[in-house]
Amino acid sequence: MKKTFALALLAALCLHTYARFQSPDQDPYLITDYSRLHPVKVSRVVAGKEEEQLRNLVREARDKGLTISIAGQRHSQGGHTYYKDGVVLDMTAFNHVLDFDPVRRTIRVQAGATWGDVQDYINPHGLSVKTMQSQNIFSIGGSLSVNAHGRDIRNGSLIASVESFRLMNAQGETIQVSRTENAALFPLVIGGYGLFGIIVDVTLRLTDDELYRTRTDTMDVYAYHSYFEREVLGNPDVRMHLARISVAPDRFLTDMYAINYVREDSVPLQAHNRLRERESGVLPAKIMFGISRKSDWGKDALWTMQKALFEREKGQLISRNNAMRSESAFMDYQSATDHDLLQEYFIPVDRFAGFIDDFRSVLARERLNLLNITVRYVNRDEEAALSYATDDMFALVCLFNVPLSEEGQAHTKQAIQSVIDRVLAHKGTYYLPYAAYPSAAQFHAAYPGAAAFFRAKEQADPAARFVNYFYEDYGKDARR
Amino acid sequence: MNIRWLIRSQTMVTLAAGMIYPYYLLFLKNLGNSFTKYGLAFAVFTISSAIASQWLARSVDRHGKRMLVASSIGMMAAMAAFPWVMSYTVVLLLQLLMGVCCAMQKISERTLLADLTERGNRGKTMGEYQFWTSVASGLAVVFGGYLIDLLTIDALFYVSAAIYGASAWATWRNNGRGSASAE
Repeated sequence: MKKTFALALLAALCLHTYARFQSPDQDPYLITDYSRLHPVKVSRVVAGKEEEQLRNLVREARDKGLTISIAGQRHSQGGHTYYKDGVVLDMTAFNHVLDFDPVRRTIRVQAGATWGDVQDYINPHGLSVKTMQSQNIFSIGGSLSVNAHGRDIRNGSLIASVESFRLMNAQGETIQVSRTENAALFPLVIGGYGLFGIIVDVTLRLTDDELYRTRTDTMDVYAYHSYFEREVLGNPDVRMHLARISVAPDRFLTDMYAINYVREDSVPLQAHNRLRERESGVLPAKIMFGISRKSDWGKDALWTMQKALFEREKGQLISRNNAMRSESAFMDYQSATDHDLLQEYFIPVDRFAGFIDDFRSVLARERLNLLNITVRYVNRDEEAALSYATDDMFALVCLFNVPLSEEGQAHTKQAIQSVIDRVLAHKGTYYLPYAAYPSAAQFHAAYPGAAAFFRAKEQADPAARFVNYFYEDYGKDARR
Repeated sequence: MNIRWLIRSQTMVTLAAGMIYPYYLLFLKNLGNSFTKYGLAFAVFTISSAIASQWLARSVDRHGKRMLVASSIGMMAAMAAFPWVMSYTVVLLLQLLMGVCCAMQKISERTLLADLTERGNRGKTMGEYQFWTSVASGLAVVFGGYLIDLLTIDALFYVSAAIYGASAWATWRNNGRGSASAE
């Protein structure tokens, strides 16, 4: 009897697991990205290893009429790294440092290397990356393709720190691209989402690693703009900045705290520049984050805990390189029915409070499960063809927990479009590496240069060899 | 110790081992290693297990139960240590420790099974043993997957360590009871 029960229990558990994980995004023979939306079958995944092999691949694709999509760490969330029946070029093994000049402060690195690889290499030389995301897990090629930005408030978007790169184009030729050579391609490829060819390697300008002392402040959303202008931008010693807006129901989109990284010259960097390798407190943070995902009291408790932790950070010393490798493992989430997806909105700094009021109303109406908002600053930089920083902007990085069901996704799409309407009304833009919820009209309103961008794409790659779902979702109509 | 307790404690051991085994590869890959280095780690495990078996075999007839307890405690320590490992060398050291624990567990488990059963009348007990350890293994693997998805692979190591601890306790608790009394 006991045995029958035990066996039945095991069989039931297996059946339950099979049924629960039956959705297409769980199919190991299909490809998707971090979003787990839109899984498809691709013809094959090729690991990029040698330049010659990449050239042969492009020529083979041309001869056989195949498409190529380029993938790094696959953290983009809008199908930028794959396409149905096409070849996925996995660049992660293409990850060597090719050249390093500590005097000129430049590094040439293969596109599949991550920021972590670069940091490991340059940290002993007292150098640091100028602009990158807050985490170091992303590939350089992927970061260029999304024209990343991060906590640094003095160095602009990533494009500003790129000196040059080599690109393998649709004809299989490798060309040097910089502000002086093949210059027209420079602003198209950076922030170009892999549509102009394979970024082979990149030369980046570096800056000095520095020691920072953290300074923390709390305020409400209405005081944030003037606080930022006065205490952050107005103080040249503040090099990096990050703020967080409460999503706890008790203080929904009202309370904020800010953390500033202020240059500290009185203490030698050498005592604090050992790179942090291990993420601490992942397990309790993940448990708390998991509870906040499912309940309002969890969100209140998490905000209280975050604020307490944040108070503890006050006055701590941290090297620039360590401030640019912050923790992410606690946010990993695997559930069969729902997923955490990012959205990012860029709002002109003087429109911040007005937008937050509108955002709060839309969220209340649409009942989206918003888990986290962090705020970064990015100064106006319109060098990239698809530039999001059309003004000095606050970037609001929003993490939503969304259902993966068809109805759930339909509702999310409609709700996000309502948010984007408010973003556009405040002369804002939104970031393109994420799920394709915004409509084509909203895309063109946020990116007036998009039509010219896609015309240039058609010229550079008339047979549409390099494609992905970003191109399918927004590029095809624009070409006409 | 009676056979029922042996089966219970070894079911716990299978549970603890089964939840780690298939996911251990993921953990080593997180350390940035190749499949070859994964293979090497297991080779080191087998070497230490082989050597330890020769050394331990002499005393297993007298100290079988103690060996089972020591094996579980050793495995508990190894599982609790894994989340803190930051180098491949330490992984190899832990593989050495686990090799010794595995030798202790296997030879004492087999010796006790033989001691607690009678010649010509072992089949039923062996079947029981195989059934419960297999079912435990199956539950452990599925549960392990859920646990990593929900929490982290570190949490899986800690849960495994706790179950090894429980198995050590379960074996120890029965240390004094009737020695070779099969059911």
